[in-house]
Amino acid sequence: MDKFSGGCQCGAVRFQVTGPLGNAGICHCRMCQKAFGSWGAALVSVPAKSLAWTRGQPSVFRSSAIVARGFCAKCGTPLHMHEDGDDNFELAIGVFDEPSRIGPLTEQVGVEGRVSWFKDMHLLPEQTTAETRTPQDLYKLKSLQHPDHDTDHWP
Amino acid sequence: MNPAVTGGCQCGRVRYAIHGPLFNAHICHCRMCQKAFGNLFAALAGVNKADLRWTSGEPAYFRSSSIVQRGFCPHCGTPLTFAYDHTSHMNIAIGSLDNPALAKVENQYGIEGMAPAFPALHELPGSRTEDDISAEDLRRLKSFQHPDHD
Repeated sequence: MDKFSGGCQCGAVRFQVTGPLGNAGICHCRMCQKAFGSWGAALVSVPAKSLAWTRGQPSVFRSSAIVARGFCAKCGTPLHMHEDGDDNFELAIGVFDEPSRIGPLTEQVGVEGRVSWFKDMHLLPEQTTAETRTPQDLYKLKSLQHPDHDTDHWP
Repeated sequence: MNPAVTGGCQCGRVRYAIHGPLFNAHICHCRMCQKAFGNLFAALAGVNKADLRWTSGEPAYFRSSSIVQRGFCPHCGTPLTFAYDHTSHMNIAIGSLDNPALAKVENQYGIEGMAPAFPALHELPGSRTEDDISAEDLRRLKSFQHPDHD
């Protein structure tokens, strides 16, 4: 059976999914933009019965009368949205330890909110992280992000 | 002086006003931005630290590395800021702006982390929210999101 793990940036909330994932896609709606502080959201459907919180629990904000959104109270990472009564959670794809295993992405929804630059953003000038940091910053930089795998103890 | 650029988190407990320009709007594909924003990539705009005022509440902060802290709303989780300790500018999360269209993205950073699906995202079949929500859910739907103004 397939297993997928993931969690928030600080590692206080970790999860595991056992079994197949459902549809994956992106949402441009204004509520996903606000919740994720971003252009929109990338989400994958996961049956609630396949999802286990293996360390900590998300905090929840009810963004509407029918939807709850989970996030880490210690670092803020958006983790999921869940419609009342739905058998599935929509998990944020970026919080999986191996996001490239999720998908394929099959649809865009909420396109009424799509930012104007979305269709051409892949053509913008590109730089790696190493190219945009000073040598002094790279020398001082020590990541405090949880690693992309489960750990017995953290930090 | 131009009117302030305003924004805040989803629940509205944390609100800000920027009394100055937005500059160097960009998307970042790096793995740290992916994790912090729970997303395929982040969208950020530069602001001068001295131009930003918290007009309601204040973010909580997580130090994602030894030289960076990231601000978020402790009540609803919305990612809000990214700031190096030692610079006079910082970055604001574009999706948290009341009018995200004010930030015109110009660059891509952190491309070592680019999601394989990224170059073709805009080609995926699209639909509008009202086409995907049942009539029953539309009746029940009442947004608790803060409006896009103070």
